[in-house]
Amino acid sequence: MLRLPVIKLTAGLQNGRISVARLHTTSSKLQQELVEVFIDDKPVQVPPGTTVLQAAAKVGVEIPRFCYHERLAVAGNCRMCLVEIEKQIKPVAACAMPVMKGWRVKTNSDLTRKAREGVMEFLLVNHPLDCPICDQGGECDLQDQSMAFGSDRSRFVDINYTGKRAVEDKDIGPLIKTIMTRCIHCTRCIRFASEVAGIDDLGTTGRGNDMQVGTYVEKMFLSELSGNIIDLCPVGALTSKPYAFVARPWETRRTDSIDVLDAVGSNIVISHRTNEVLRILPRVNEEINEEWLSDKARFSCDGLKRQRLITPMIKINGNLEAVEWEDALVATARAIQNIAPNKCAGIAGKLVDAEALVALKDLVNRLGGEILATEQSFPKEGAGIDLRSNYLLNNTIAAVEEADVVLLIGTNPRYEAPLVNTRLRKGYIHGEQTIGLIGPNVDLTYDYEHLGQSADIVTQLRNGTHPFSNTLKSAKKPLIILGVDQLMRKDGAKILSETQLLAQTLGENTKAPEEWKVLNILHTRASQVAALDVGYSSTIEEVKEQQPKVLFLLGADDANIKREDFPNTCIIYIGSHGDEGASIADVILPGAAYTEKVATYVNTEGRSQQTCAAITPPGMARPDWKIIRALSEICGVRLPYDNLAEVRSRLEEIAPHLVRYGAVESANYFAQALELSKQVPGSLSSDPLEVKQETLDQFFMTDAISRASQTMAKCVQAVIKQRESNL
Amino acid sequence: MALRVSSLFNQSNNFTRFRLTRFFADSGKNIKDSDQVSTDAVLPKKLTVALVPEEVHIAQKTRQETLAVVRENEDVGTCSGVPEEHIKTRTVRIYCPAKNAMQSGTNNINYWQIDFDTRERWENPLIGWTSTGDPLSNLQVGFVSKEEAIAHCNKMGWKYYIQKPNVNNPKPRSYGINFSWNKRTRVSTK
Amino acid sequence: MATPVTSGLKQVKPILSLTHVEARRKVITLYKTWYRQIPFIKANYILPVTKEECQQKLREEFYRHANVRDLRVIDMLLVKGQMELQEVCAQWKPAATLLRYWKQTEEPKPKDFMSKFLSGHRE
Repeated sequence: MLRLPVIKLTAGLQNGRISVARLHTTSSKLQQELVEVFIDDKPVQVPPGTTVLQAAAKVGVEIPRFCYHERLAVAGNCRMCLVEIEKQIKPVAACAMPVMKGWRVKTNSDLTRKAREGVMEFLLVNHPLDCPICDQGGECDLQDQSMAFGSDRSRFVDINYTGKRAVEDKDIGPLIKTIMTRCIHCTRCIRFASEVAGIDDLGTTGRGNDMQVGTYVEKMFLSELSGNIIDLCPVGALTSKPYAFVARPWETRRTDSIDVLDAVGSNIVISHRTNEVLRILPRVNEEINEEWLSDKARFSCDGLKRQRLITPMIKINGNLEAVEWEDALVATARAIQNIAPNKCAGIAGKLVDAEALVALKDLVNRLGGEILATEQSFPKEGAGIDLRSNYLLNNTIAAVEEADVVLLIGTNPRYEAPLVNTRLRKGYIHGEQTIGLIGPNVDLTYDYEHLGQSADIVTQLRNGTHPFSNTLKSAKKPLIILGVDQLMRKDGAKILSETQLLAQTLGENTKAPEEWKVLNILHTRASQVAALDVGYSSTIEEVKEQQPKVLFLLGADDANIKREDFPNTCIIYIGSHGDEGASIADVILPGAAYTEKVATYVNTEGRSQQTCAAITPPGMARPDWKIIRALSEICGVRLPYDNLAEVRSRLEEIAPHLVRYGAVESANYFAQALELSKQVPGSLSSDPLEVKQETLDQFFMTDAISRASQTMAKCVQAVIKQRESNL
Repeated sequence: MALRVSSLFNQSNNFTRFRLTRFFADSGKNIKDSDQVSTDAVLPKKLTVALVPEEVHIAQKTRQETLAVVRENEDVGTCSGVPEEHIKTRTVRIYCPAKNAMQSGTNNINYWQIDFDTRERWENPLIGWTSTGDPLSNLQVGFVSKEEAIAHCNKMGWKYYIQKPNVNNPKPRSYGINFSWNKRTRVSTK
Repeated sequence: MATPVTSGLKQVKPILSLTHVEARRKVITLYKTWYRQIPFIKANYILPVTKEECQQKLREEFYRHANVRDLRVIDMLLVKGQMELQEVCAQWKPAATLLRYWKQTEEPKPKDFMSKFLSGHRE
């Protein structure tokens, strides 16, 4: 039970470094070929071609670096990673140099230290001493490394500042602030932009002391992943514009959580102070978002402070008026009182957690209602939502990059799930992936074969009448990603069934491993998979048909839900933001946003994860499931759970995977799903497949939180301005 | 210790507040010197020795060498000084701290940590600082392994859950692929 | 979340008592000592509670740990009880702090779900 110094123990290193133990896959063939090298006299076996830096990481020796990043190409231009190798005259750059047999690397010798000191000195000569006003201060690699490896004195004598380097700042958009004088030319941002984001906008001009990183012409850096270059920048040259001068890293609290603005479920860290979310950073999770985060997830956190519902409201004489919780609950209970069976319904929105979904389902069922809908309808024909394989990204996000041929049907992963798109791009670059797209011709940041826009191409691919079908059928690891929006079409069930048939044909032909799953559905809403798991099977149309007396909108802000459709209905809105849903409600019960509650979300691959409460809900807002639980007690149909643990055990009763956090519960019964889907009647319509988000400006504002965010609004403006400028 | 003092209490019924204070605050010598009020019950110089019979002394010595048998699952929470409500209602998260996305160093993350669920924090109306009613909000303890963290939580009587650690499997990198003529990894911009 | 139940025994160095019989005797001794001190405590401090209330509280405080089985934990609690007694008898503890045993100034926290929900307390 030691306290922190344990990290110094060797046992601690081996223990914590799960990463290092599995650096490379060690098949028996590889093991024979391993090369033995010595890092600071510690022997280590690595496959040939491994760089000195990675070999050192394997034994827990960290070599300082600026330009090297394990997810980007090797650049080898900062020279910070110079190390001495015995019997070699000059130090070598550890990040780029592959190891040779028997090398003895000295990472802490006099020569190495002197080399680092020299590099550090050159970097600092041209780096401004503005740490006190620099936003990177406290989490700056240059600061850290100059403390650890820099010299203790300066030879910089230009006290008149005649020749100190100064570079003009660039304007690259509303998200990233540039102070280019601080740039140390590591080129991480350039490599990220061209490799991961797929936008070759950044580059260098000039040489030596005159070198500058920029966009050549004045241009916005418009990418859905642009925020990541802030993280990558080892100095304060690229910092966050909305977060500028807001806080220092040591004065904020950090809470690990999950992003819910798309269905990927990226892992995030929420930095907060004084009950206020200041910024959101990505948290490494190799299986989901790696180290990246989309701009919507990162920068829309100012939407958590605006347009919030902070007090319960009741419509009195046509106007919504703020009331106490007691009054609101009693008013709701009065509306629910003596309700006829099946005259009560619920619609769940985009950002709802599993706890609230289950609580609402229990409540509506107890009130005799059966109709529970999600904004995004799922076809009922065939297996519908009964078999999970119908609606999951079955093959997991991480495996997307392993596929060799990918067929995208009616989806634009770049904006629907940016971090799935980075996987596709990774596969495209490193795995020579072939990608085909059925749908509108959008910019996916990589080259793909555009197969057309009509749905019957799926059938053609199966029959072999389409030229692309040969590529698809000869694939070793084929993958089909179907956009979930297509299932909302009238022929949605047929599209799903055709896709299933195609997936089955491909699966039979290939020699892909047993666990390889061809059929994948890409969701866009964080709540959707959990809602389908729990059994929200109805559509908004069915709710309209039913004309319930009481309608619960659980964070549902969809434009399809209109007051006119429900003339005699009491609409109860439970949610965090005053958006479309709240404006048509008769009773508003303020809920908590995802940063304010401990809640379960299931991502598109069926992985349940939980958010952690960073701050308390504002005003009188309460976590959603508690509101429903309180309402149930007032209505006289008390739900049998009082605390989170009890709700979770109810969740477990319904679907055990909902509480197995972090693990993917994979689906099966593919064959049965296929059999059922074969019975789907009807035919494919001739309407072209459309996606909702075609261009970048449609990416930023998609839900109540991002619609309330000023930063997101600025992004939309910037994109439109850029488009008009023709650069 | 318990026996010793309690046996003292048993001795006389006319304990005054004055004498008790003296007795606890100082050694017997002082009492004797300044004891002018009540001379009837003079306490000996070496209280401990005088009051404890010899056999007890021997017993204590042997006691130091013997071992007691207790159950394996300890429950230290009750005597840890942590308020009872914070033992029963709190949930501990056992996790590996993640690397800060803004920094590249990894030497400070290779251990397991525990922390508690977040409780309400508010801005203090007096001076604008942040207040909290949660004594455990700043408690973060590091452990070498997950098992140790679990053992600690069991001992303290806290409920816990384990957050799956991130498994890192970095791909081998090479400088050469930047220049390969037939691969998509060729670098265009610089 | 579940705590694994291990029923094994192990040998440890004792703090005060070797057996449960011994520990029990010590607890009773401590209890009696407290009990007998109550009149003096009441005389020293001016407390707005009766002797019976004090005795009742004493019982409560001892019964709170009735289910503690670990010898060393019992011993630690004994030591703590002893220290507390010393503090009270010697009047190191101010009266207000002593009165916190009765929680007179503390507003009781809501217990059931509805009152917790309405008052806004988390968990």
